[in-house]
Amino acid sequence: MISHLLKLIWNKKKAHALLIVEIWASFMVLFGLATLIVVNVRNYREPMGFTYENVWAVGLKSNQDTVAIAEKLQRVTQRLKAYPEVESVSRMSSNFPFSANTMNNGIEYNKRKVMADFYATDENFAKTLDIAVTEGKWYQYADSVGKYTPLVINQKVKEELFENENPLGKIIGEKFKVVGVVNTFKSKGEFMSDKPAVFELFKPDATWNDTVLVKVKPGTDAVFEAKLVKEIAAMMTGWNVEVDYLTDSRKNQHNLVLVPIIIALIVSSFLLINVALGLFGVLNLSIAKRRGEIGLRRALGATGNGISTQFIGEIWVLATFALLIGLLFAAQFPLLNVFDVKSGTYVTAILIAMLIIYGIVTLCAFFPSRQAAGIQPATALHEE
Amino acid sequence: MPSAPCPTPKIMISLQNIEKVYRTSTIETLALNNINLDIKKGEFVSIMGPSGCGKSTLLNVMGLLDEPSSGTVQLDGQPVMKYTDKELAKLRNQKIGFIFQSFHLINDLTVLDNVEIPLLYRSTNGKPRQEYAKEALAKVGLSNRMKHFPKQLSGGQKQRVAIARAIVGNPDIILADEPTGNLDSAMGNEIMTILQDLNKEGATIVMVTHDEQMAKRTHRLIRLFDGTQVL
Repeated sequence: MISHLLKLIWNKKKAHALLIVEIWASFMVLFGLATLIVVNVRNYREPMGFTYENVWAVGLKSNQDTVAIAEKLQRVTQRLKAYPEVESVSRMSSNFPFSANTMNNGIEYNKRKVMADFYATDENFAKTLDIAVTEGKWYQYADSVGKYTPLVINQKVKEELFENENPLGKIIGEKFKVVGVVNTFKSKGEFMSDKPAVFELFKPDATWNDTVLVKVKPGTDAVFEAKLVKEIAAMMTGWNVEVDYLTDSRKNQHNLVLVPIIIALIVSSFLLINVALGLFGVLNLSIAKRRGEIGLRRALGATGNGISTQFIGEIWVLATFALLIGLLFAAQFPLLNVFDVKSGTYVTAILIAMLIIYGIVTLCAFFPSRQAAGIQPATALHEE
Repeated sequence: MPSAPCPTPKIMISLQNIEKVYRTSTIETLALNNINLDIKKGEFVSIMGPSGCGKSTLLNVMGLLDEPSSGTVQLDGQPVMKYTDKELAKLRNQKIGFIFQSFHLINDLTVLDNVEIPLLYRSTNGKPRQEYAKEALAKVGLSNRMKHFPKQLSGGQKQRVAIARAIVGNPDIILADEPTGNLDSAMGNEIMTILQDLNKEGATIVMVTHDEQMAKRTHRLIRLFDGTQVL
């Protein structure tokens, strides 16, 4: 029966060309959307590598003040540590978790190069964000003696730069010495891919690391925030003080990822609804035009269910033709490693898109095919 | 030595008290009225009557394509009134071959594929299916047209393809609804000769026709008028 359906559809390929193009286009749109969703779901399932609850990012902008910046920043840090509501304080570069800022640079070891996100932090960073160190330790200022700056790398950097070697104690770029390894660090939130990241200990007298992460005790409210801002502003005349709750910044980052996906989902849904309605109409028309054939097939031994199965089978064959063309295009993405996305992600997206296409065509064919099954053979033959 | 008595041929189609009523919300039409008919194995029967007298309805009832409003139908001794859709389809496929006035060929399939259709519903495998279809086409003299599409054939050739399709499954009964109705007299004669040959080979044939000359070439003539058997 399958070969019969193949012949039937193949011989009518010109008549079905538009339908095939329509299904192919829907598959490509679904493939793109499914890839986007699979990438983000996979990212979401990977651990972020730190905790953000009860952590505030206090941004300090010196504006026109150029006098003793480092000392002033240290004084603020010390003051913040003194509050009983505060559990931990850490100064870092402006690319704090969930911020819009990014700093990256190439690092090299034994002719292997990696582009990594750079975070300049102090010794309290891991404690403030509950980052687990998997190998070695988080750096301290005591590690800063000698000519090398202590560096903590994430697992991704370890895999790409050192492969099976132990990274601890290794010198990178004549400047950094690896002292520890952490697992993942996805600073832009759960939807960020696990990228190479390194943490460099900045010197206490550095002037440009003007963000202070403050981990407050659970239940600390906006009253404390107001008090904190007021006191810092009084200490640092002419400076801007801005507090970001990491929970809020995380939501903003999520929106940046989710809003385009939701828009794409809505647009695709409209497209698919149109395709489904078109298919439904074409199948209904096809059944009306093929009543004589339906009557004939019943006369020759087809059951009502057999007729229904045939119509669903025909649309499946049609969808398979369209999907085979679609696969030729979609397969190029994993083969050419487009967008640096894992092959498995593309394969999953292809399978999801195929499943949805088969689901839609089955749904569209179901009611017309049941209608065809109910056609009285004697009536249909007589009409012809 | 006295010759052995000729055995009575068995009844292939038996219709008892058949009535067929078509009902709409406003009108009720009696298409068949108290038809009692036995057709023996190997018989070639023609049905005649004016348009709308119920000839095709009677043929549809015999062919299990239409259910009578009352009465009983037996095919090869089997009462079929309580058969399910699946059982009826199986019986149609195995016992009956249909030939229609308008051929009813599927234009998107080749001649060979058209002839193979009844065997598809028997789940006959590809290779033997093709062989049987080729044999049937050879029987109607169309071996050289197997790869053609119906649109490339003349009316007579189309009807021969339809006959090949009707006989490919080797059915006991052939039901022909005005098989020569769309053909000129030469083509019609050709088709009639094929049907007579099939009958000689043992097929039971029931043919609806408007043509007295064709009807005369069959064993028995049944006349219908307003749904009632008058001869």
